[in-house]
Amino acid sequence: MSITEVRTEPRTPAVKRKRRPHLRRNLPGYLMLAPFLALFAAFLVWPLLNSLYLAFTDFNGIKPPNFVGFDNFERLWTDDARFRKALGNTSLYVVFSVGLTTLLALALALAFRTTSLRDKTMRTIFFLPSVTSSMALFLIWGWIFDIEDFGLANTVLSWFGGGSVAWLSTPELAVPILVFISVWGGAGYGMIIFVAGLNAIPEELYEQAEIDGASPWRKFWHITLPLLRPVTTYVLITSLIGAFQVFEAVYIVFRTTASNVGGVLDSALMIVPYLYDMGFGKFELGFASAIAWTLFIVIFIVSTVQLRLTRTLKDL
Amino acid sequence: MSRRLSWGSIARIPLYLLAVTMLAPFWWMVIGAFKPVPELSRNPPGFLPADPSADNFHDPAWVAGKQIAGHVAGLLQRWPELPGGYFRFMANSLLVTTAVTIGSLLLAAMAAYALTKMEIKGRRIIFLVVLASMMVPWQVSLIPNYLIVRNLGWLDSYQGYIVPALAKAFVLFFLVQYMRSIPDELIHAGRVDGAGEFRIWWRIVLPLLRPALAAMAIFVALAEWNNFLWPLIIINDDSYANLPVALSRLSTSIAQNPQGMGVVMAASLLTSLPTVIFFFVFQKHFTKGITLSGIKG
Repeated sequence: MSITEVRTEPRTPAVKRKRRPHLRRNLPGYLMLAPFLALFAAFLVWPLLNSLYLAFTDFNGIKPPNFVGFDNFERLWTDDARFRKALGNTSLYVVFSVGLTTLLALALALAFRTTSLRDKTMRTIFFLPSVTSSMALFLIWGWIFDIEDFGLANTVLSWFGGGSVAWLSTPELAVPILVFISVWGGAGYGMIIFVAGLNAIPEELYEQAEIDGASPWRKFWHITLPLLRPVTTYVLITSLIGAFQVFEAVYIVFRTTASNVGGVLDSALMIVPYLYDMGFGKFELGFASAIAWTLFIVIFIVSTVQLRLTRTLKDL
Repeated sequence: MSRRLSWGSIARIPLYLLAVTMLAPFWWMVIGAFKPVPELSRNPPGFLPADPSADNFHDPAWVAGKQIAGHVAGLLQRWPELPGGYFRFMANSLLVTTAVTIGSLLLAAMAAYALTKMEIKGRRIIFLVVLASMMVPWQVSLIPNYLIVRNLGWLDSYQGYIVPALAKAFVLFFLVQYMRSIPDELIHAGRVDGAGEFRIWWRIVLPLLRPALAAMAIFVALAEWNNFLWPLIIINDDSYANLPVALSRLSTSIAQNPQGMGVVMAASLLTSLPTVIFFFVFQKHFTKGITLSGIKG
């Protein structure tokens, strides 16, 4: 139903309409809308505008803010090594986490899509991290990647003859570990969406292809994948946005390895942990607001490019 | 057909191995919670507690203020200054999650009804602003919201959690989409019968919205149960901490000392149980909710 159709909807006779003014007639509507709108304006719209303003000031939470123009953005984009590190880590993390999660989710959905007991059990197993307290999961991972020989990761390594690894304090391993944790935790969620997408594809298409003698691979390539495209786009975009906002994993898993957020040599530093560190560790609220808006710009650009790409692929 | 089936089974083998990897961390948590202190740092570690005990939850041999080798304060013996100890955090999480879930759904359902089924001036603009706000990551409003809550004197309070979380744009968006599928005739019938708008909303619209509300309730409740960054910023006083914040502080105080990791695992286990049980009870709604919002949203 389109918006215009809804618009003409209260079909009260014209005479009656004239007698009762718009506001009085629709007062209940405005009253029902008011609580949401008031809170929405107070805790979302106003804060967003306010943070845009703060991004151009030197606000530190105590002294009144001074307008400093583009200073924060200039400092952030041109000579902030920590931010460059955070941006680099986040980009790597996003690419691998989103890519691997989506691929694994699709593979799982293709393998376990029926309502048989086996498939249901497997789906439940892979979905379990999505319904477990995320804080608990990160604490478990921190304990698994313990530096000592009795950590689970080191024990498994020793079965294959490997020596102990100081997992969390090895800078080269920080982003791969975070990617691993996120794929482990996120694939089951994407799988559920893919299963729904797969089951929505009409069975007749496959039967038709079968009659035409199409191989399973061709069926997958020419029927399944194209028809899954909207679902794939949805999974990609949502996990992309989620991946850019990673905070808890970094904060909890790598907290023990260094005194500041971000682990040894900032090897696990990402954009939101950096925002937290600057905003609530060092109380540079103006500068942190600039980080927040940069995050928005980055997410906006990447998801727009991604949507464009999908559209172009569709036209091919 | 049979050849293809066998290929399928071979292709599934790595996924079965992966399933073991999926379960391993959960297993590690459960046995960690029931390992007595000396076993936590044994090398090689056991995959079953050799001498299972509930000491990590409550250690009868532990005495406050005394250092006894092999004994640490159990989870339920910690936070002696807080009435209820660990269960205080459980209660805080439950209270906040319930309030935010019910409150945000009712507010959005009311607003969605007004926006789709009533004559509201500027409805297009309102809806556009709501849509646009969904594109901005919520962390952008983090700092100003912190300042607002601080100025209101709501640091260390329940309203600090609840009130800023009530107006959720994506819930409104989703409910508006769903509301459009409710036939106007039903609402007209209510109006003809002389029912007030609020009564129509409560009696006719809400029951019809039930599937959409269930889907959103699961989303909102899980997100609130896991909420960490916001309470980390606004909550200093332990008596208002939710489970994630309390767990985070517990693990900091233990600082990866293997002696205390059993307690951390016990806390992780107790914290995960409510949502996992909830999931097994409402399993159908979970998958339905995800697919409903995934495909339509």
